[in-house]
Amino acid sequence: MALRAQPGPVETFVQSVVSGVLTGSLYAMIGVGLTVVFGVMRIINLAHGELVMLGMYGAFWAHALWKLDPFLSIALWVPLMFLGGMFVYRFLLRPIIPGGELNTLLYTAGLSLLIANLALFAWTGDYRTIKLPYAITPLRPFGIAVPIPLAIAFALAIVITAALYLFLSRTDPGRAIRATSQNPEAAALMGIDVERISMLTFGLGSALAGAAGVLLAPSLYLYPTVGEILIAKCFVIVVLGGLGSVSGAIAGGVLLGLVESLGAVYVSVAYKDTIGFIMFLLVLLFRPSRLFGVGKS
Amino acid sequence: MTRGAAGAAVLVLVLVPPLLTSNPFLLHLAITVLLWTLLGAAWNLLGGFAGQVSFGHSTFFGVGAYTTMILYLKGGLAPWYGMALGGIVAVLVSLPIGLICFRLRGPYFSLSTLAVAEIVRLVALNWEGLTNGPVGLLITTLPRVAWGGRILDWESKVPFYYMIATFALASMLATYRLSRARLGAYLLAIREDEDAAESVGIDTVRAKVLTLALSAFFTGLGGGFYGLYFRYVDPDAVFPIALSVEMVFIAVVGGLATVIGPVIGAVFLTTIGEMFRERFLVGHLIFYGLFMMLVIRYLPEGIWGGARRAWAKRP
Amino acid sequence: MMRRLLALALVFGILLVGAAAPATAQDTLKIGAPQPMTGPDAPFGDKFKKAYGMAVEEINAKGGVNGKKIEVIIDDHQAKNAMAATVAEKLITQGKVLVLTGGRASGQAVEIASVAQRLKTPYVVDHPSADIITAKGFEWVFRNNPTGSIYPQAFNKFISEVPGAMPKSAAVVYDNSVFGKTISNSAMTFLKSKNVPIVNDEAYPVNSLDFKPVMTKVKSNNPDYLLMVAVATTDAILLTKHAKEIGVAPRAFVGFGGGFGVEDFAKELGPQSQNVFSSAAWSGNPNDPTVKEFYKKFHDKYGIWPKEHEVEGYAIVFVIADAMRRAQLTGNVDADREAIRQALLKTDMTTVFGKLKFGNWAGPLGDPYTNQNIYSPDHSVLAQWLDGKLQNVWPKSNAEASYVFPDNTVKR
Repeated sequence: MALRAQPGPVETFVQSVVSGVLTGSLYAMIGVGLTVVFGVMRIINLAHGELVMLGMYGAFWAHALWKLDPFLSIALWVPLMFLGGMFVYRFLLRPIIPGGELNTLLYTAGLSLLIANLALFAWTGDYRTIKLPYAITPLRPFGIAVPIPLAIAFALAIVITAALYLFLSRTDPGRAIRATSQNPEAAALMGIDVERISMLTFGLGSALAGAAGVLLAPSLYLYPTVGEILIAKCFVIVVLGGLGSVSGAIAGGVLLGLVESLGAVYVSVAYKDTIGFIMFLLVLLFRPSRLFGVGKS
Repeated sequence: MTRGAAGAAVLVLVLVPPLLTSNPFLLHLAITVLLWTLLGAAWNLLGGFAGQVSFGHSTFFGVGAYTTMILYLKGGLAPWYGMALGGIVAVLVSLPIGLICFRLRGPYFSLSTLAVAEIVRLVALNWEGLTNGPVGLLITTLPRVAWGGRILDWESKVPFYYMIATFALASMLATYRLSRARLGAYLLAIREDEDAAESVGIDTVRAKVLTLALSAFFTGLGGGFYGLYFRYVDPDAVFPIALSVEMVFIAVVGGLATVIGPVIGAVFLTTIGEMFRERFLVGHLIFYGLFMMLVIRYLPEGIWGGARRAWAKRP
Repeated sequence: MMRRLLALALVFGILLVGAAAPATAQDTLKIGAPQPMTGPDAPFGDKFKKAYGMAVEEINAKGGVNGKKIEVIIDDHQAKNAMAATVAEKLITQGKVLVLTGGRASGQAVEIASVAQRLKTPYVVDHPSADIITAKGFEWVFRNNPTGSIYPQAFNKFISEVPGAMPKSAAVVYDNSVFGKTISNSAMTFLKSKNVPIVNDEAYPVNSLDFKPVMTKVKSNNPDYLLMVAVATTDAILLTKHAKEIGVAPRAFVGFGGGFGVEDFAKELGPQSQNVFSSAAWSGNPNDPTVKEFYKKFHDKYGIWPKEHEVEGYAIVFVIADAMRRAQLTGNVDADREAIRQALLKTDMTTVFGKLKFGNWAGPLGDPYTNQNIYSPDHSVLAQWLDGKLQNVWPKSNAEASYVFPDNTVKR
């Protein structure tokens, strides 16, 4: 479809919204893993960005070595990261938790440094991208540019979120996770093995991080310390939606994507991150129901 | 050993190094350690004693740094006054920040301080008229000044060393006085359970605001010193999140809510960093991260906290 | 308690001294190079490491400098200003280097320049481009490569000399760093002097994840030319990618910045890199046999084709060696540093990078340069990505291929 030379204001608006929602859905995927872990264990995992990075590299290497399309290799990396996450919890995190929240937070910060720099050492700092043959020309329904990998990622993100929702609401372990998230003492009294659930949840959070990384990889670029930037966005999303709330993280992600996109186009590109942070502060201050919904910290 | 003697010992230990060595790099390292001590101690007041974990202290550091640089380069005000003013401006800035952020608790408080720090950084980056934006502010010459009858040699590290040593000692003294004062007790109560503290009649708002102001003052002072010593300030050097996180590391690794903790944290983190960087050009941060994890795992009360515990257990 | 404190003090003392242990003394002529070896800039640090390495090998194989071998000592500044100062101090005081080079990013380079100036050690800049580095009257700081405000000059020549190429309008998108601001400022000043309307003036934060909103905004103004400035390769790649995805359709896409001139650009973008211009800092005339030889040598040794960074790193070692050769080195570090500085003032040579003579002159935006390469304006060349290869296209004397203009990959 031929492009009109100068897009009108409506087209510009629709393009901004579409871009914002698509990007936002990926942000949301990154945030969901972090919020699930916080909900159950009250841990803010600063190494979450590195877990996403590992997912990205997983997709890259699968594509570089075995010519596997990332959207297929996701089936390999999600279970691997699930197991990896459980391992990390059981052997690295669990002994730390009695030391308090701040210690755990800083421990994950140390872990994040460790993982990022091991990756640097192993894979060098060179920037990499995944080049997919179908990624070059975007779809243009009604003249609105929709990059194909982003569209597929969006669709898969919806599928994964739906699966997560079903898991949390319909299965026993899922319900146990929600119960522990709401009130760990009561859950223990009900016979839920809180330790086992914590391990499961961390595995789940890691798997979600890995999935987010795989989905993100074809649309972004990879380097070992990319986690730093991702985690900054993550915090905003997760707090916007309420720490511990999965649906909140999703809404937060899409909202942030929209605000950044519209902010860049209509207000100022230089300040677009500032707009996000200001919105973040406003929500923190004026939505007390979100704050106390997950209990005191 | 009496507290007085311990205090004198610390004083001597801190003031002695420039007399022992004239190696400028060792002095540079010592200055770096003392700067981190100052920052760690400043953060410790709010984070260790009051339990309010701030991830946005770089705001006060940067405000102090920019105040000093702008007043000197654009207004001709000598940097030592600038540093003091930097601390004061940081205090003023801390008031609205406290107003906004203290409404929140726990991780929400922490993340809100992070958001504020990022907003301030972006403003500094874009408000070129005030800060020169990303180009930054560079000091090429420092004013001729005499102290004790001699012209100070700004090429030497010694005047800087004594300056930062004084600030660091001041912050440690402030920590000590705070821990012995009623305010210190209030803060610990707030840290344990803020609502309970409120219910026994502690004015938690006033306590938190006062502590934040004190914390901001010392951090801003540190920022001013940074500008003076490193001569160059740009938004990414003085407002990054990494700086705020490092301050937390120092206080925690050293030992929260202790007077000596920040010194120990600063010494260990600086020397470990230097040693590993010397050995491993590309991989040194791997060991830094590992060191961090090991300390937190095996010394959850920090190095000083762990040392005290071991001392207490002696037969 | 007293014993505890004393024990503690002892431990600190040992650690502090251990940390600052001087490098093992070798009888080589040492050059110090702070570089980012970790963090997002790590790939660049690695490029310089390779470039310095190759130069040092060649020089030492030919007998070194007056019989002595040279050595480049690299230390990681982690892309942090304070760390750059620490590393520079360490190299100067502990490492006893005679000369400093490197730095990579402007923020760190300014800090290194400040330290070098105060500690009276020559700092010969190879790559950092902030004008301020050689515009503060630092007599110990020298620079071979062009400043940021000079980068756009080849592009300016192109649009002035090629018939019909003067933009009818321009959208300028640049990053919020010193680099981005200086270059965009310089480019826009020139365009404004030619009465070209600037329809977009957008500063973005470095390492942005998403340029689709910015490009949507740009597209709505339908600019005749799209100018993109990026200090980070990642931004350069995404800017171009998103511009093409959103459908911005100018007559030319012009990139300024290291990221637009590295091999990764075409490797990662594939066909989307086609016809993108790069107004770069290197004039390496490809028809020159020395340049061709350098290309081949580098590729044979490391398996990658060198670009701007590698050339700058390689050339600077020769510049320093040349000065060392002419200086009367006595073994007294302070005297030798001054002798090298004097020798640098008299430098008059040609390297793979181009001609070099340090001088004091005024830059395009009026900055008063000291010890800046007087041939810098000639070192800005316009290249274009054609079929995955970066080819010089303007000025004609330096060209290896004909330019493609207007762009034929997008429909207007």
